[in-house]
Amino acid sequence: MAKQYDVLFRLLLIGDSGVGKTCLLCRFTDNEFHPSHISTIGVDFKMKTIDVDGIKVRIQIWDTAGQERYQTITKQYYRRAQGIFLVYDITSERSYQHIMKWASDVDEYAPDGVQKILIGNKADEEHKRQVGKHQGMKLAEEYGMDFYETSACTNYNIKESFTRLTELVLMAHRKELDGLRLASNDELNLAELEEDGRKADGTANSKSCWC
Amino acid sequence: SRNFFSKRSKDLKSPAASAPGWKLFGKVPPRENSQKDCKIIQQEYEARTGRTCKVPTQSTRRKKYEIEPLSTTALILEDRPANLPAKSVHETLRHRQEYDEMVAEAKKREVKEAQRRKKLMKERFKQEENIASAMVIWNSEILPNWDAMRNTRKVRDLWWQGLPPSVRGKVWSLAIGNELNITPELYEIFLSRAKERWKSFSETTSENESEDAGVSLADREASLELIKLDISRTFPSLYIFQKGGPYHDLLHSVLGAYTCYRPDVGYVQGMSFIAAVLILNLEEADAFIAFANLLNKPCQLAFFRVDHSMMLKYFAAFEVFFEENLPKLFLHFNSYSLTPDLYLIDWIFTLYSKSLPLDLACRVWDVFCRDGEEFLFRTALGILRLYEDILLQMDFIHIAQFLTKLPEDITSEKLFSCIAAIQMQNSNKKWTQVFTSLMKDYKEGDKNSPASKT
Repeated sequence: MAKQYDVLFRLLLIGDSGVGKTCLLCRFTDNEFHPSHISTIGVDFKMKTIDVDGIKVRIQIWDTAGQERYQTITKQYYRRAQGIFLVYDITSERSYQHIMKWASDVDEYAPDGVQKILIGNKADEEHKRQVGKHQGMKLAEEYGMDFYETSACTNYNIKESFTRLTELVLMAHRKELDGLRLASNDELNLAELEEDGRKADGTANSKSCWC
Repeated sequence: SRNFFSKRSKDLKSPAASAPGWKLFGKVPPRENSQKDCKIIQQEYEARTGRTCKVPTQSTRRKKYEIEPLSTTALILEDRPANLPAKSVHETLRHRQEYDEMVAEAKKREVKEAQRRKKLMKERFKQEENIASAMVIWNSEILPNWDAMRNTRKVRDLWWQGLPPSVRGKVWSLAIGNELNITPELYEIFLSRAKERWKSFSETTSENESEDAGVSLADREASLELIKLDISRTFPSLYIFQKGGPYHDLLHSVLGAYTCYRPDVGYVQGMSFIAAVLILNLEEADAFIAFANLLNKPCQLAFFRVDHSMMLKYFAAFEVFFEENLPKLFLHFNSYSLTPDLYLIDWIFTLYSKSLPLDLACRVWDVFCRDGEEFLFRTALGILRLYEDILLQMDFIHIAQFLTKLPEDITSEKLFSCIAAIQMQNSNKKWTQVFTSLMKDYKEGDKNSPASKT
């Protein structure tokens, strides 16, 4: 039987409440857009398998609640991610300001090699814009992140940004991937490899060490 | 997984939905509908015989004007056009037989459908009768003697069956109680305070937003804005809480008044769902009183304050009963490091009002009001039990997706029979005992090593 994927890893969406994290995700996984989404409580999950340079990548995406009060909970999930989207809303200066706080939380709680990308969502609402594109670019540069302005509503830069973060994660794990090509029957399960050793049985197929 | 279910239910529905099409057999279809009916019958015919008709649609349409068949299905009885070889006797007979079979099958289906509908009507009628008689009992016997009767076997059994919607709010109010001694007047005071705050908030924002006006004010603003944002995202499919909807202002008022009443808790996402369910069942001031008292229960307070260590105790207690009741699934979840927080947070924060269909969520609330926090965790185990077979086949991400977006076709009969089968006993210890002993361990562990917080 053909295997369903070559590599599996987790991406996390974080950012203030209402910046459109769930909308970004729904557009990416189901190509749907609902302007009034139900608010996310705790964390929601989606999955998609995409092809990057001939590698079948299955991404699990964890969509977190944005309210500050929930961060005690959501921070616990950072360490389980290989890539993180930091999302703000271009029509909300406050959500942009808060990126600093989100980024410092990532520094503190996420694993060292985690890949990050900055997203300014709602790019279609130009008439309500409060954060200039250059501001986003500048901030991303400061943090050494890639930057995209996106619109879940018009489907602008959605696929591009998800693919980019996927590529970044793949690049960061290139060594393990080369190993994978040699033993092509194996699946590389980054998500499980980086679990905190609580697993009861059969962790991952790859034998490489992750330190 | 959600798709799987909705698709399946759709598939199940389709024969029933297209059933009227069968009535047309052997009769002249009404002229104006003929084109549509042709298609339906054609599809059904193809589906049933497992063959695809190779005649391109255009030529069928043309034919319709040329030969004017009695019905499309009866086409099988027609002779072939002159330019094609004629049917043999054998073939004609076979076609006659096939046609008769199709008609017989259609009739059988119609009878079956009629029977099904009759049964459904009967069940619904019985249900309504039950609700009506339960309502009489609640109104004339139980509610007038609430304190004496609430814990009797009879009332508890009737309670489990679900509260009649007309007494639901009243029973919830009584069961939740009013430890906080909130009066409608007090609610008005907090509401007017909230209104003042909204007014001053909209004035300050127009001045200068980015300038630092003190953290607490910014926080308060953020919280007020979040309420606004969340109201539009509360039961969006009902279209009653959204801007311009009949309950929009009510929900706004209850949540606003609460943030003034309990600034130490403030507004936390998930609250809007709880307030909305209460508003649907109670008058404004009573909804507020029930809301404030409900959130003051230890479990709700721990969650809405996001007291992480307390939440972990609740999850740990849940896992004790999870392992006891569903050992196989428990191991399966453990093997994927699928911890209960991933699905319980959503369920507990919103008291299932976001995850279950609203009528079913109300039934869970009914018994939650009777049994307390324990029932929230018992419901979770009931859900896991209901879907155990499916979940055992899934990996991490599929389980996580499934549990954070439960199938829409979940029924109260099935769920409640699964909940009933869950034993909230662990080596003779009940929920509260298990929870208390976990709390005790935690406190002692805390004394020994202050840094042992997980």
